[in-house]
Amino acid sequence: MTELDDAFGDQKEAKLPRRDWILLPALGLLTICLIAACSELIARRVFSGSKKSVGSCMVTNDPSTGARGIPNCSVWGKGAESSWVEYRINRCGHRAGMECGPKPPGTYRIVMIGSSVVMGYYVPREKSFAALLPLQLSRETGHKIELYNEGSGWGFSHSTDLRFNDVLKEDPDLILWVLTPTDIQRSSLVLPTADLDPWPNLSLPEKAWKRLQRSLAQGSIMDAVAEAFGRTGTALMLRHFLYKSQSQYVKSFLASGDANAGYLKVEQSAEWKNHLQQFNSDAADMEARAMTAGVPFVAVLVPDHAQAAMISMGEWPRGYDPYKLDNELRAIITSHGGIYIDILPGFRSIPNVEQYTFPVEDHPTSVGHAMISGLLARALSEGTVPALKAASQPQAKLEKQR
Amino acid sequence: MDTASFEFVFFGLAVALVSNFSRSRVWRSAVLLLASLAFLGFLAHNPIAFLPLFGFLLLGYAGLVLIEHGWSKSAVWSILAVIFAYIWLKKYTFLPEGFFLHSFYFTVGLSYIFFRVLHLLIEAGDSREKQHVGMGAYLLYTLNFTTLVSGPIQRYDEFARDQFAAEPIPLGPRVAGLQLERIVRGFFKVNVLAMLLNMVRVDALAQMAQPLPPSLKLYAAFRLAAVFPFFLYCNFSGYIDIVIALARLMRVRLPENFDRPFSACSALDFWNQWHMTLSNWLKTYVYNPLLMALMRRVSSLAMQPLLGVFCFFVTFFLIGVWHGRTSEFVFFGVLTGGGMSINKLWQLGLTRAIGRKSYKSLAKNYAYAALGRGLNFIWFAFTLFWFWASWQQIDKVFTAMSVVQWLGVWMAAWLCQAAVLALWEWLRAALLSVKAYGEPVLTSRYARMVYASALGLVAFVVVVLLSQPAPDIVYKAF
Repeated sequence: MTELDDAFGDQKEAKLPRRDWILLPALGLLTICLIAACSELIARRVFSGSKKSVGSCMVTNDPSTGARGIPNCSVWGKGAESSWVEYRINRCGHRAGMECGPKPPGTYRIVMIGSSVVMGYYVPREKSFAALLPLQLSRETGHKIELYNEGSGWGFSHSTDLRFNDVLKEDPDLILWVLTPTDIQRSSLVLPTADLDPWPNLSLPEKAWKRLQRSLAQGSIMDAVAEAFGRTGTALMLRHFLYKSQSQYVKSFLASGDANAGYLKVEQSAEWKNHLQQFNSDAADMEARAMTAGVPFVAVLVPDHAQAAMISMGEWPRGYDPYKLDNELRAIITSHGGIYIDILPGFRSIPNVEQYTFPVEDHPTSVGHAMISGLLARALSEGTVPALKAASQPQAKLEKQR
Repeated sequence: MDTASFEFVFFGLAVALVSNFSRSRVWRSAVLLLASLAFLGFLAHNPIAFLPLFGFLLLGYAGLVLIEHGWSKSAVWSILAVIFAYIWLKKYTFLPEGFFLHSFYFTVGLSYIFFRVLHLLIEAGDSREKQHVGMGAYLLYTLNFTTLVSGPIQRYDEFARDQFAAEPIPLGPRVAGLQLERIVRGFFKVNVLAMLLNMVRVDALAQMAQPLPPSLKLYAAFRLAAVFPFFLYCNFSGYIDIVIALARLMRVRLPENFDRPFSACSALDFWNQWHMTLSNWLKTYVYNPLLMALMRRVSSLAMQPLLGVFCFFVTFFLIGVWHGRTSEFVFFGVLTGGGMSINKLWQLGLTRAIGRKSYKSLAKNYAYAALGRGLNFIWFAFTLFWFWASWQQIDKVFTAMSVVQWLGVWMAAWLCQAAVLALWEWLRAALLSVKAYGEPVLTSRYARMVYASALGLVAFVVVVLLSQPAPDIVYKAF
């Protein structure tokens, strides 16, 4: 079967037997069905997620507070790409790994706020940076440092602002706001309406039909097919393997449109400018209240998979800049009197950044949490916050690595 | 549209369908012309962008008309004018920057048009029996949408034989089925295999600049060294598969461009199996005339084999230079021409040392062939660094590790490719030896239907899933 053998095939064309007009299409169809069924079965077996997860320990219908944890709730959950993880919520509704209340004497308490990455989705609490950071900081500064984690799923900027009194109640010595690009993208979102099942009472085929109708109304047939296929186990499995490639992930992410990747653009769209405006007003409010309470307010941006990959590879397409959002946030936070620390340049010297997040679920893995913890500890202990100062590399040095 | 996308395949299939509404050559030519013009329209929307291209085509046609009217002396000047216009439009960097047109204009496919136009001019100048090429036929031949973007480079007489035949070549269900299977295979090669291989290469390139432990860096270097030829093959031959099949559905036979190139055991064989239409063109219009001219001037018999070596160098140096307009491609040409010359010298030297018979039996030796195959592969991979990278990137890559480490990488790549390609040859022969009714089972229409369905499904799923533009065809840029 050389490439020349089948070039023309026009020598003497024998008639195709009549049975082949049925047999051949049937064979093709059977092949397609077999492959599709086998791959879906394998994908569902290997990449299975639990029905119950952290969402069942969250109040998701109270617009006055935004999504928040149900006190004393505990659940085991599994994401498609992660292992089983226990989410244990304390009596104040936080996955803090400790109870709320007054801090022990002589302890420097950091209260950390943010969304699902801060809460430690898909990783055991003891492997999250919320657990690792105080240990590292205590080691580096010689002080006894405690970190109380108030991070919450769907805890984007406006939602966090709604619950900011809870933060101040914990008597913090420092408030650390760990942000991700999603916190800005969904800054105005208070309840997880976009992530919830819009048809909880419908059967699976009915839901699929509804989704198809919705996709067809919004885009082309190809978009509808892509949307429908994107929900299968096979799609998840393929994405899981393809997205392990940094270059492929970045390419796909940038192709996914402005709604997702707009924050990486040098010229941001009106939509992203609106997100930043909403974020600005929430940050201004929280920083003012922290200042009134006399608590230092520190913010930091933790990159998502695409940003980390672009920084690590050291190149990106024209018209994009992975540091753009970092610069915008610094300007906003410092304009209201807060402190902004920068850990993005640190990702230049981190090899194997593909281990940083789960390829599809796009939340940091245990390795990613350890990376973040190391970078945060270094940035916090180099003198930006006097109480946490340790003899280490100055922030200016990190800036130079850009 | 200028790549192996769904749009291009559907466009080609629709044109093929309409083209088959009538067997009349007028109808088929009208459909091809309209489709080719529409194809150009899809590629660039501003008509002004086509002016330089049409100027180039007019220049070629004017030369052709002059030769046809008996001005045979104008052949040389026409050829020189076309070569100069090509260099100017392609903006070869050895010309001053201020000399070029600075507004945007369309150059996709210009290289392949250039070869077709030159072929017509040379043949018109040489041929004793003058063949009239009308303007319509000239435009059909040069702008044919199936060969515009990346070839293959078809001879005019072959094109005219099928396109203008009173009784077009037959197209029954069997042939149509084979072509559909080939389209699926080509689509899979470009959109899945080439995409995956390119992903591996880009990641490896990025890792070369990262602070990795030596073992991981060596692995990245190995991937960088070994993957690009496979990527280029899948990318280019996949597109060629599609266009050959589309043309065949329009009852035109395009020449093959590849014949299992990585089974070649030497560089000399390799270029007979890789981008065959380009190397055949250059052999016909550069190697043969040059060798004849030199042999007429150099009478020494001892020198004649060396003349062949020299002509190989010139021919394959030109192949390298044709690929691009920067100094990297000049160096690629030097390496390609040098490799061919050294291979020829080795062949001559060994034949002289051990005798023709022994050399022939050595060439058939399994281990010698396997090592030769591996060596040819990694030499090609090495030369391709100047094909895909800039001097800056090459410097970055080669200084990322020591010379000894690089030697180790190339040695490992050689042995590994020798083993992998030998294994592939063995496996292929073994699979093809399984026969039913005197025909290999693997090439039966049932087997073809099974793997075409499987490849088609995978390609469709990957394209839909990634929702990103189809990968560019590397040879489109030349």
